[in-house]
Amino acid sequence: MASGKKEVLYALYNDETELFAAIRAAKAKHLDIMDVFTPFPVHGLDPIMEFEESRLHIVGFVFGALGTLTAFLSMSWIFTRDWPIIFGGKPYWSVPAFIPITFELTVLFCAIGMVVSFYTVCGLGPGVTNETLDDRITDDKFCLAFSTNGKSDGEVSDLKSFLNSTKPFEVNAKTLSK
Amino acid sequence: MDNTFSFDGRLKTMTIGFMVVGVICLALTFFMDSQPDHVRFWSNILHNSVFFTGISAMALFALTAFISAWAGWFATIKRLFEAYSLFLLTGFILLLVVAGGMWAHAHHLYHWADPSTLDPTSPNYDEILVGKSPFLNKGVFTFLGVGAVGVWYLIARMIRNLSIAEDKDGGALDHSFHKKMRIWSAAFLPIAGFTIPAMVWLFIMSVDAHWYSTLFAWYNMAGWFVCFCAFTILTIIYLKKKGMLENVTTEHLHDLGKYMFGFSVFWTYCWFSQYMLIWYANVGEETIYFRERLDGFPVLFYANLVINFLVPFFVLMRNDTKRKYGTLIFVSIVLIFGHWIDMFLMLKPGILKTAKEHAAHSDHGHGDHGHEHAADHGGHAVEHAAEFVSGFTMPGFLELGTFLGFLGLFLFVFFSRLASAKLQPVNDPYMMESVTHHT
Repeated sequence: MASGKKEVLYALYNDETELFAAIRAAKAKHLDIMDVFTPFPVHGLDPIMEFEESRLHIVGFVFGALGTLTAFLSMSWIFTRDWPIIFGGKPYWSVPAFIPITFELTVLFCAIGMVVSFYTVCGLGPGVTNETLDDRITDDKFCLAFSTNGKSDGEVSDLKSFLNSTKPFEVNAKTLSK
Repeated sequence: MDNTFSFDGRLKTMTIGFMVVGVICLALTFFMDSQPDHVRFWSNILHNSVFFTGISAMALFALTAFISAWAGWFATIKRLFEAYSLFLLTGFILLLVVAGGMWAHAHHLYHWADPSTLDPTSPNYDEILVGKSPFLNKGVFTFLGVGAVGVWYLIARMIRNLSIAEDKDGGALDHSFHKKMRIWSAAFLPIAGFTIPAMVWLFIMSVDAHWYSTLFAWYNMAGWFVCFCAFTILTIIYLKKKGMLENVTTEHLHDLGKYMFGFSVFWTYCWFSQYMLIWYANVGEETIYFRERLDGFPVLFYANLVINFLVPFFVLMRNDTKRKYGTLIFVSIVLIFGHWIDMFLMLKPGILKTAKEHAAHSDHGHGDHGHEHAADHGGHAVEHAAEFVSGFTMPGFLELGTFLGFLGLFLFVFFSRLASAKLQPVNDPYMMESVTHHT
């Protein structure tokens, strides 16, 4: 996150179809979108925003594989080397009995690893406070935001008239402290 | 937009050709059987009939579950679901043939169908089967097992009729047909919940009449559902290659791919849960099921897991492999074959064991060698299973040819049903949602 104040011009929309139309119009005009905010995950936003494919699933796979190995290898070591116990006449190295725990640790590592990675990348986490652009984007409004830092008044008013042409619910300007 | 599919030309010739191959293979199996009572012939009929009937039952299950859940995404491909579910009529006839063969004493696929097992004076007397006889008998087999398939077909027919009537008389804002379909769907789901497991128990699980597993029905249904998704994906890709179904996008295939992936994992979950509990408890009458398969069928046993779990899991895990024709076609074909092998492994060891015992009883005559009767003790069966029996230890060319024949029949019925209505529903209230569907 860049330090210093950030001037933002944003439009609020009532639903995602209007937001999609506005994004497409902005992309057609080659405008530099700062960000888009939605109250819930909206399908199909990534390709329109021309984002690169997320690498979160690779992180998920790596953490999952780590969980598989951790569980399987530690159980194998514990039950054959460290503290061998015979359970119900089964051999020490009883693979079928290890599978459920291996599965659970795979899911656990994968889930926690992905949450921690996601929070780290997004600068989120306990104790972190991020200024919200508009409270209503956490409720039912969809927001398309442009940065107006270093833009001349003429450019800002052009941008404003563009946003007004996309049938928004309303258009506002705000200065964020960081 | 060309909204009708005409079933003719090379495709029709191909499916009919498959059926001819199947009939030839069945005839060859009938005359070249190394086992008594044409058991290879009958077991192949049972195997393929149940396999394809199950897939069409899952088509109806998916259709009704989606309608009940107010799902919209599949509206543009629902004609494929309907066409697959209408194979239930053919399945009903095929299973009727199996049941008829039992009444006519033409086959000995099922140990429990032998009346001497219920006769206390007979050396074949079997107390376990007597205990199970209220459920495992010819009447229940016919009326519940085969009859259930008939009931499913009637419901599939009702939904299909409503769907076609909606095309003709429904309006864009007319939900009346859809509401009726929802009622039939809601009626089918609880019926299916009880009768699909019963059908699985009667037709598949009861070949090992002494053995049972509570999970068995879910395990079968998961496998069939995977096959249903695979067939739907393959036919969508075929029709798209022909320039039809332009409303069906990568997004629909992606969702079907996710279903195929998810249900492959669910199949593995069921398979493993069944295996692990039996392995852990180590009760002889339960472990015999896996003992026979591990001793007599080790290659198929492990290949089953690799084909049906590892392949779809690692290939379909990525986002883009569920969206590309190449990987989807590859995994779909592998899975259809894999679940066919899975069902081979469920049926053949038990049928072979029953056939061997039946032959042994006939050789020994009655009464003299009662003490040799080893029907419910594993030892004998394991010895027998370890030797190679063509058509049982491994699927041979005749099994593959029969599979091809039934596949031809399945696709013939599917494509002719598909051609009998518009390829895309016209007045489905969810059509717009389906066409604009994106993930």
